[in-house]
Amino acid sequence: MSERYGFSLTTFSPSGKLVQIEYALNAVAAGAPSVGIKATNGVVLATEKKQKSTLNDDRSISKIEPITSNVGMVYSGMGPDYRLLVKYARKLGQQYIQMYDDSIPTVQLVRRVADVMQEYTQSGGVRPFGVSLLIAGWDVDENVPYLYQCDPSGAYFAWKATAIGKNHINGKTFLEKRYSEKLELEDAIHTAILTLKESFEGQMNEENIEIGVCNKDGFRKLTPSEVKDYLATI
Amino acid sequence: MFDIKTDTRKMPIEHHFNPYEMNGGTIVGVAGEDFAVIASDTRLSEGYSILSRENPHLYHVQPHTVMGSVGFHGDSLTFNKTLQIRLRMYEYENNKKCSTPAVAQLISTMLYSRRFFPYYVNTIVAGINNEGQGCIYSYDPVGSYEREVYRAGGSSSALIQPLLDSQLGLKNQGSFELSRSYTVKMSRENVVALVKDVFTAAAERDIYTGDAVFINIITKDGVFTEHFKLRRD
Repeated sequence: MSERYGFSLTTFSPSGKLVQIEYALNAVAAGAPSVGIKATNGVVLATEKKQKSTLNDDRSISKIEPITSNVGMVYSGMGPDYRLLVKYARKLGQQYIQMYDDSIPTVQLVRRVADVMQEYTQSGGVRPFGVSLLIAGWDVDENVPYLYQCDPSGAYFAWKATAIGKNHINGKTFLEKRYSEKLELEDAIHTAILTLKESFEGQMNEENIEIGVCNKDGFRKLTPSEVKDYLATI
Repeated sequence: MFDIKTDTRKMPIEHHFNPYEMNGGTIVGVAGEDFAVIASDTRLSEGYSILSRENPHLYHVQPHTVMGSVGFHGDSLTFNKTLQIRLRMYEYENNKKCSTPAVAQLISTMLYSRRFFPYYVNTIVAGINNEGQGCIYSYDPVGSYEREVYRAGGSSSALIQPLLDSQLGLKNQGSFELSRSYTVKMSRENVVALVKDVFTAAAERDIYTGDAVFINIITKDGVFTEHFKLRRD
């Protein structure tokens, strides 16, 4: 019955759903897995970056991207849609600096990005973004880490730890068992890698996963050699 | 005959908001073989008043690039702020720092984008390019720019530029070589000494130049600073 109302973004189905958004969530659930964990002294983002063929040379393409000096993000879903959101997010971050001469608090950036995603659910001639985002940030004023998820609908949630993309239900179950409030960043990175490993087909190495960390020194992506060191400890 | 009691009341008085203000200041840039020097005085003025004696007009925009900006201080500050934002976007998107020639071109496009309500500033950019050479670029308020060996900009530019032509360019002093070089063949120490001398000279005659000079020496190892006092009258 819902499929009859799936043709148009701007038409509700009788059950009160916007079916296009449901389908967008399906696109996300079909995407490569991503994991985010908040520790006492930082946040870690990790994602699977499997290349479709050995001929691919994706070394210059990054899934985990810095947005401002203190915020970074990763996605599950459609890569090209993500690219656009990264560009939007960076510009929004700089606009905040231009107006307030201060780095943007994480929740402010999340809200602005989510507003962009919502716009694409209530406009003519567009479709929703086929990505869910995990946004990690460190707020300098409060000295606390934050982890947020943004959905195609424009909804956003704060998490202590979460998984998105393929196998996210198993991922979240795994994290529920492993997560503790006292987790520190080093342990969180370890746990994130283990969570990815649950759904990983084949051998994990520094070329097919990406890890980003956000702490009081800001957001940065780990180099392949640093990733290799962490993989060696699991 | 003009009667001051009656005729002044008959004449229309125009009031108009002037969006610009002259805040004075002078900047000088010199390009060496493997270094670049950019200096500015530190005086900020308005009319016959001094607003600050400790306000350099140099902005460190990238690791090997310094921009000097004089004219209307409000536009100097805002242009620098906007430039910093653009350079941060460049760094995020390209995953590397912006080279000096790229900064130079970017500044030109940014200035021209305000062709019909200009940034009221005279700009000089100094830095090291990817080949390790010193380079200087100078601009007019709407972004017309050129790479040069040396340039003076700001309120006492007309006093300093001829001095640089004489001492660095050796203009019309018997040299028959057609120089296509964009750098000066002088040592760092001599260039810095010359820059101190030209500012001392300018401070003698230009009321808007004085108090102190901030000198930035840019090499492949980074930016070094020197401070030099000038007459405060």
